[in-house]
Amino acid sequence: MILVVKPDATQEQIDHIIQRVEELGFRPHVSRGEQRTIIGVIGDERKPQVETFGAIPGIEQVLAVLKPFKLASREFRKADSVVTVGRVRIGGGHLAMIAGPCAVESHEGLDRIAAHVKKGGANILRGGAFKPRTSPYAFQGMGEEGLRILHDIGDKHGMPVVTEVMDPRQVGLVEQWADMFQIGARNMQNFDLLKEVGKAKKPVLLKRGMSATVKDLLMSAEYILAEGNQAVVLCERGVRSFEDSTRNMLDMSAVPNVKGQSHLPIVVDPSHATGRPDLIPSMAKAAVAAGADGVHVEVHDCPEKALSDGPQALLPDQFVKLMQDVRKLALAVGSSFD
Amino acid sequence: MILVLRTDATQPQIDHVIERVVELGFEPRVITGAFRTIVALIGDDNAPGVEKLDAIPGVENVHRILKPFKLASREFHRADTVIDVGKVKVGGGHLAMIAGPCAVESFEGLDRIAGHVKKAGANILRGGAFKPRTSPYAFQGMGEEGLKILRDVGDKHGMPVVTEVMDTRQVPLVAKRADMFQIGARNMQNFDLLKEVGQTRKPVLLKRGMSATVKDLLMSAEYVLAEGNPSVVLCERGVRGFEDSTRNMLDLSAVPNVKGQSHLPIIVDPSHATGRPDLIPSMAMAAVAAKADGVHVEVHDCPEKALSDGPQALLPDQYQALMVELRKLAEVLGRTIDR
Repeated sequence: MILVVKPDATQEQIDHIIQRVEELGFRPHVSRGEQRTIIGVIGDERKPQVETFGAIPGIEQVLAVLKPFKLASREFRKADSVVTVGRVRIGGGHLAMIAGPCAVESHEGLDRIAAHVKKGGANILRGGAFKPRTSPYAFQGMGEEGLRILHDIGDKHGMPVVTEVMDPRQVGLVEQWADMFQIGARNMQNFDLLKEVGKAKKPVLLKRGMSATVKDLLMSAEYILAEGNQAVVLCERGVRSFEDSTRNMLDMSAVPNVKGQSHLPIVVDPSHATGRPDLIPSMAKAAVAAGADGVHVEVHDCPEKALSDGPQALLPDQFVKLMQDVRKLALAVGSSFD
Repeated sequence: MILVLRTDATQPQIDHVIERVVELGFEPRVITGAFRTIVALIGDDNAPGVEKLDAIPGVENVHRILKPFKLASREFHRADTVIDVGKVKVGGGHLAMIAGPCAVESFEGLDRIAGHVKKAGANILRGGAFKPRTSPYAFQGMGEEGLKILRDVGDKHGMPVVTEVMDTRQVPLVAKRADMFQIGARNMQNFDLLKEVGQTRKPVLLKRGMSATVKDLLMSAEYVLAEGNPSVVLCERGVRGFEDSTRNMLDLSAVPNVKGQSHLPIIVDPSHATGRPDLIPSMAMAAVAAKADGVHVEVHDCPEKALSDGPQALLPDQYQALMVELRKLAEVLGRTIDR
């Protein structure tokens, strides 16, 4: 860590800074420049006390040198992590093709959609039973009944299933029925929920919050890893911006950005990122070309009757076509899907 | 156009709205609902005076139905426009591979870099002679001398050249030396400059402003087209975001977003979008996979000595490796890169 001292700091203040640094168990290294004094702080800067450095009188800036996450970092684990969901591998060249409706609506409806996406080549089925809707008046999901349907349909079609968990109290229930937890964007910093799934034994799909930086996302992953659950897959799903013709703005550079710093797999969700079926296929292909470990796409066979997010769903035919294109592209970039 | 009236609009206000609408040449259709009155206007959404409809008392909001741009729209021109820059085609399956240093720094330097990027497969050479730097103390470019060097080096390597024009007064000078104007992000809404390049017949590379929506970008293209210059290539180069680990946020969805609404080619500049050489190659690949009509990449053979934007430049070897991958991808996707 580097402490930049204010230009008008007194000698007394500088001495006090050095004293505090030593008290906290660090070794100070003072460099006096013509205009500024800078203090290099040698030691593990992930200690909880370091946050208080900024509060010592005379300090202008605290610059971190180490990354604030550890278990999620590339330094901690050089090779790409491969996360197994049911028998599907994600990461290290294996692509997750996650597809399904936004919400589980009925046994028959999900069965039809699952058959379509399975045929298209999807390897993980998604469907929400607990739905975080912007409006409290919108369909809130089928709850436990929805989880059972999702599980049954997954079994029938031989696909592992992923579904969102919104509340720490639901973790046990969701773990019973699903192969993978989804933590939604709105819960990316619901730390108690992160800790709870961190104690569970199933893999976690962690979506990026709408105003979270890549570092914030990795810090949230660290919460789960720190509790002992090593199976975390990150998901870029767009962030808030001023562009008003798309639902969110897909930050595609998050893919190589994460991969440079972390061993965790990252998938892309172009459905939530764009909210527009006309943009989803291009963004799904771009994600695979950018090195993403998979794509998460919402599919519905009758979007106009969908109880949630119908306008952003691809039709089964559109999904099948997209998967053909993605397969070609995956071949060109040297990845494959189970 | 649809006018939604306020829930508390009075009958005299409604009558007044209708009167104004008729004056502007529209045919009004009034729909009286349980809570609201809505007035549908039949006529040209782009007629002069329509922007004032919002100001009529009793109107809550105005919804346009037609797009505010015309010449740039897909409705106006169904097929993809193909633009010629020198002998290089851009659009309609032809990819522009624009590469070069941020700024022209010397003849020898540019000559070396041009040799590298040409060999790797770039088909258009870039280099700034007039530089819009954030700091007034930073290198501002070589000016006319830089333009001459760019022209000579381009000719030597058989590459058309693109360079930025920052001021309406520079347009003839740049037109004389360059094969394509670049309008930088900071000038995307410098409307006099847009009109000025619109009056020439050289192609224009129009970069998206850092806080411009896709619609804003297409409106700026419309300025150039409206003056009679049909050769506009758009460029997505990232917008401002809250993410602090990249220079900008690359809005890759702008590519299919533009293509759905407009016939104009659009390329992607991952150098300015990310500002990070470790992210540039992946984003260039993603751009081509997203059907962008090309990629604009800054290359320097000694980034640490570059007078401008060194940290975001790829080294010649990195560019060469990227081009190998891009060519493979282009082949799978059925696109061509002119030499």
